[in-house]
Amino acid sequence: MMPPIVKDLLKIKKLDVSVVIFSGIMLTGVFGSTVYPVDPVAMVGPPEQPPSNLFPLGTDSWGRDLLALLLSGIKSSLYIGLTAALIAAAIGIVIGVISGFKGGLTDSSLMLLTDIVLVLPSILLMILIAAYLRERNPLLVALMIGVTSWPWVARAVRSQMLSLRTREFVYMSRMAGLSDTRIIFLDLVPNMASYTFMAFVLLMSGAMIAEAGLSMIGLGVTRGTSLGMILYWAQLLESVRRGLWWWFIPPGVCLVALAASLLLLSTALDEYFSPRLKGG
Amino acid sequence: MNPLVRFLARRIGFLAITFIVFLIIIFALPRAIPGNPLATILARIFQQSQSSPELVKAVEKKLMEEFGLGKPLHVQFLEFVSRLVVGDLGTSIAFYPRKVAEIVFVYLPWSLGLLIPATLVSWVVGNLLGALAAYRRKTAADNVLLPVFLTLSQTPYYWLAMLLLYGLAVTLRIFPIGGAYTPAIAPALTMHFIIDVLYHYILPFLSIVLGAMGNWAIGMRAMVIYELGADYVSYSDSLGLPDSKILRYVFRNSMLPQITGLAINLGTMLGGSLITELVFSYPGTGYLIFRALTTLDYPLIQGAFILLISTLLVANFIVDLVYAYLDPRIRTSYVGE
Repeated sequence: MMPPIVKDLLKIKKLDVSVVIFSGIMLTGVFGSTVYPVDPVAMVGPPEQPPSNLFPLGTDSWGRDLLALLLSGIKSSLYIGLTAALIAAAIGIVIGVISGFKGGLTDSSLMLLTDIVLVLPSILLMILIAAYLRERNPLLVALMIGVTSWPWVARAVRSQMLSLRTREFVYMSRMAGLSDTRIIFLDLVPNMASYTFMAFVLLMSGAMIAEAGLSMIGLGVTRGTSLGMILYWAQLLESVRRGLWWWFIPPGVCLVALAASLLLLSTALDEYFSPRLKGG
Repeated sequence: MNPLVRFLARRIGFLAITFIVFLIIIFALPRAIPGNPLATILARIFQQSQSSPELVKAVEKKLMEEFGLGKPLHVQFLEFVSRLVVGDLGTSIAFYPRKVAEIVFVYLPWSLGLLIPATLVSWVVGNLLGALAAYRRKTAADNVLLPVFLTLSQTPYYWLAMLLLYGLAVTLRIFPIGGAYTPAIAPALTMHFIIDVLYHYILPFLSIVLGAMGNWAIGMRAMVIYELGADYVSYSDSLGLPDSKILRYVFRNSMLPQITGLAINLGTMLGGSLITELVFSYPGTGYLIFRALTTLDYPLIQGAFILLISTLLVANFIVDLVYAYLDPRIRTSYVGE
């Protein structure tokens, strides 16, 4: 039998829709190249062909198969999004937890740092860093996104900590003589699990959009593909003005669908965990 | 001390520290990254030296001088800051011997002219629609509006721009396919030129407004729903106050966080609109930075970023002023956090 929480969650329509859309595209990206084994970077056909039986999504100016590119682009964008979200979540949680738990000078200086990174636009910081790097692999791109997009997580985790640390069960642990580290890991972190997961989901959608933005300005991965890189090539070769719609529409649709389904997922969970938002 | 003055002084202090941190980042990046990017451009300039050796020599000398390479780091930093103070952002490599500040000031107004009105319009429209959706929640209106907001908020402006450009300019030929004005018309304050500029303005403007609107609407919707569940609403309701009056309270309370949101999102909007300029070949700072990136014109990139961030911090301060004016807690008796 299903545990009751799964049954409850399945009843939320928003959640079902988001999970179906996201996992649909994700599975297409992950297993697509097995079902459709065409080399995404090989010049396999005549340039700029509209969709046909032979090339379901057409070809680009170099005669590359756009469906193959899209499949590998989805995989790469998901990888960058996931890695960047892990990095940002780790930084944000560590800073937020320390800040909220320690208080005092540690708190003020960490929050000053957080606010500074929050005001400086992450996309501009990324462009600035990337401009000086001649080689950019997916991990490096994820790292750049991760280290610039954590501040709001740190702020949110800190305020969660502030409200949690004055709860009775924390006082009990204190009285029992537990160390700070044990209180953090046994009492506080588990209580933030649902919240952290929602933050992670939002970080991931933000990171995939950031990747596309960075690619569009010419600072994406230097080798390989991603949804952003397909859009970049499409833009560079004037696909819009030349009416090559099959080049720039599919990657954008996938990107928006992935990001929007993640946002929807986080909204659904948010409403589930804090019913007041549903507005009964 | 007057609470308002104290609040503003704290904000100015914070923005000043942020600016200094930003300058340190700008200064440190080219020097800290392994493989010395500056050496890369020098090598590249040397490769092109067959064409005009004197020019290359001059560019190289200027570059060495402005980056102060070879001197101790703290001397380099002091020179960098003191040049900034007198408004010297260095000399461009690609447009040598033109000064960076002079070039950026040609492009910056186009960017701001696009970004500022688009931000304000998207904020107002997004908030109104969001409040409407919240008020009409669980009706057909909200069921249609919410998915639209969700999708729009995750749609990059530049992709929306590509769709609009393809649909309305390339296919239907209603709008021009790019640029800020028709090249054949000389820029002047004539009616003809102004109409031409506005005609080119509509699509980029619309891309940013639509792309940014969803985000505001979602925020406002959540805020209003949350407020509608507050005790003061049920209390006012039980007192028999008219709905319109209660809604006014709710709207005013939900507004303040949205103003803070404006300050936080300004940077993201700026980044998005810079990339949107590329799609329209709009002659703004985004277009300039893109060109500077392809030619490795580091002084120009640095200068453009310094001016953009300065503008952004000033904008942040203006939002703070508005916030301070609207929030009665600051206006009358601001106490600590």
